[in-house]
Amino acid sequence: MSDSGHGQGWLGWLDRRYQITPLIEFLRHKEVPKGPHSMVWYYLGGMTMFFFLVQVVTGVLLLMYYQPGEATAYESIRYLTTKVPFGWLMRSVHCWSAHLMIISLVTHMFSTMMLKAYRPPRELTWVTGYILFALTLGFGFSGYLLPWNKLAFFATSVGTDLVKSVPLIGNWLLQVLRGGPDVTANTLYRFFALHVVILPLAFVSLIGVHLLFVQRQGMAPPLGAKVAPRGMRFFPSFALRDLLLWLVCFMVLLVLAVFVPYGPGIPGMDWELGQKADPLAPAFPGIKPEWYFLWEYQLLKEFPPHLFGLEGPQLCLLVVSLLLGIWAIIPWLDRQAQREQPSPGFSDFGWGAILFLTFLTLKAWDIGAMEPATSGSSLKVISRTCAWWTIGAGAVIIGIRWLLHRHRWFVFTGAALLHVVLHGWLGLPYLVAGVIAAVLAAVGIAMIFLRTAERRVNPGGSR
Amino acid sequence: MPENTSNQKSTRRSFLDLVLGASSVACLGSILYPVIRYLKPLPRAGGVGPTRLTPEELAKLEKEHFVIVPVSGKRVLILQNAAQEILAVDAKCTHEGCTVQYLPGESVIWCACHNARFDLDGRVLSGPPPRPLPKYAAERQEDGGILIVAERRQSE
Repeated sequence: MSDSGHGQGWLGWLDRRYQITPLIEFLRHKEVPKGPHSMVWYYLGGMTMFFFLVQVVTGVLLLMYYQPGEATAYESIRYLTTKVPFGWLMRSVHCWSAHLMIISLVTHMFSTMMLKAYRPPRELTWVTGYILFALTLGFGFSGYLLPWNKLAFFATSVGTDLVKSVPLIGNWLLQVLRGGPDVTANTLYRFFALHVVILPLAFVSLIGVHLLFVQRQGMAPPLGAKVAPRGMRFFPSFALRDLLLWLVCFMVLLVLAVFVPYGPGIPGMDWELGQKADPLAPAFPGIKPEWYFLWEYQLLKEFPPHLFGLEGPQLCLLVVSLLLGIWAIIPWLDRQAQREQPSPGFSDFGWGAILFLTFLTLKAWDIGAMEPATSGSSLKVISRTCAWWTIGAGAVIIGIRWLLHRHRWFVFTGAALLHVVLHGWLGLPYLVAGVIAAVLAAVGIAMIFLRTAERRVNPGGSR
Repeated sequence: MPENTSNQKSTRRSFLDLVLGASSVACLGSILYPVIRYLKPLPRAGGVGPTRLTPEELAKLEKEHFVIVPVSGKRVLILQNAAQEILAVDAKCTHEGCTVQYLPGESVIWCACHNARFDLDGRVLSGPPPRPLPKYAAERQEDGGILIVAERRQSE
């Protein structure tokens, strides 16, 4: 080969032994689709991976002082943040990087969904990414318990309790997860093993598969353009941009970690670690999971004890599984994107889901609460205030899509907003409002289907 | 003239390279410094100075003729020889740092790791240790025979 410029030096030494020339050639010719479309979204996966790498490094450092166990977990975190030099910084970076990783991961997923990058031939890239997302939530959930404080103890009790609603194996699963019928030190050991061994192993191997898929197929070109007209060289053009973004992310992370640090011993932040968990102490108001689980927490509150012969949490789990299930298999559902045509219905499903989750999250935060926050009138005010915010966000989303993207498909966003109006403004119970909105959305979709079918049978007939 | 221009360009380029390199090093340093400080272990907490044996340690000394106790963060071997004298030496073998033990039958201090033998004053009798075991001052007190182990004393 004329291009075997790796004849001398250490590259040549390696090449003679391991034949790395094809690999170097591949990297040299790797390109990222370039065109009139925005390239911003191509950076989010790498950004998520950067935060994951930060998690690995700081996690390993934290492991050098953390001691799981009923008598040591809380104490070792306290020692770490108050005594060890820069211990507070390591923990703070770990916590903040977790939040930023979730944010960039969710943005990555939503952008993939809006751009229909999951369409063939990238269905499995979507599925592996989806599992990585689930594992990330697992990281967040298991890591929350490790400081063994009161808040984490009760949040984990509530969070794991939902598992018992799984049909048939629910109780068995709950016991396996907790290492007993209740949250105890056994749960702590299990979550520790999950957080530092099982999940990282699964995550790293799956990232390998995910990246392999991305490397083999390249980044998805915009919808409708099978082959991108031009490409940007990955090395060095795209890689340097990636690096610059990582640097910016690192700066943002450090600014947050230094100026909004976590943990005791830092003035004004003593609440964060709080008190040590006590299995015999009663729960207190303000038990909340991490912000990215708040929607689920709020949804659980909205379900009555019994409905349609099922228990509230069971029905809640069913609804959530249905929504998450649709999200997982979306590459196979979206027939239009498979034909490289725009699929506004699926974009609208994404935006509708965002509004649905936004309202629940705002509600869980008690936005607009009066004293006392748990009184009936206060709950009404919370619903109304959160409805205002959600409708504002919905109006902005619809406006931008209408004006900039010329979308005319708003059934799901419309239903989500109707749900919010019926519940927050007119005071209907959450579920009743939800059922009305869902039925209307179903009718709307059915009408759209009928009209398209009619047009297909009788093209240009009723124009 | 063109020579001058190219000269200027290379100067600017090398200056930028220098700035980039220096800021990279500074950036890396600011990351590594906290990590290194974080990894450096803190000095061990606990008392420094004379130590009294606890009743448990005393009982063990009576029963097994020796006991190993922590003194100022170090392991110290307290032994009672055939003449009922109390002796104390550093329990850390000077060869590879294993913990030594007293063999009352042979009246020697023995390290099981590499078969080193010391006499009761810590001097090497056989085996690989390069130095004698440091000696400590230990004495039986008036009040019920509790011992105080004092600071390290220069071994002969």
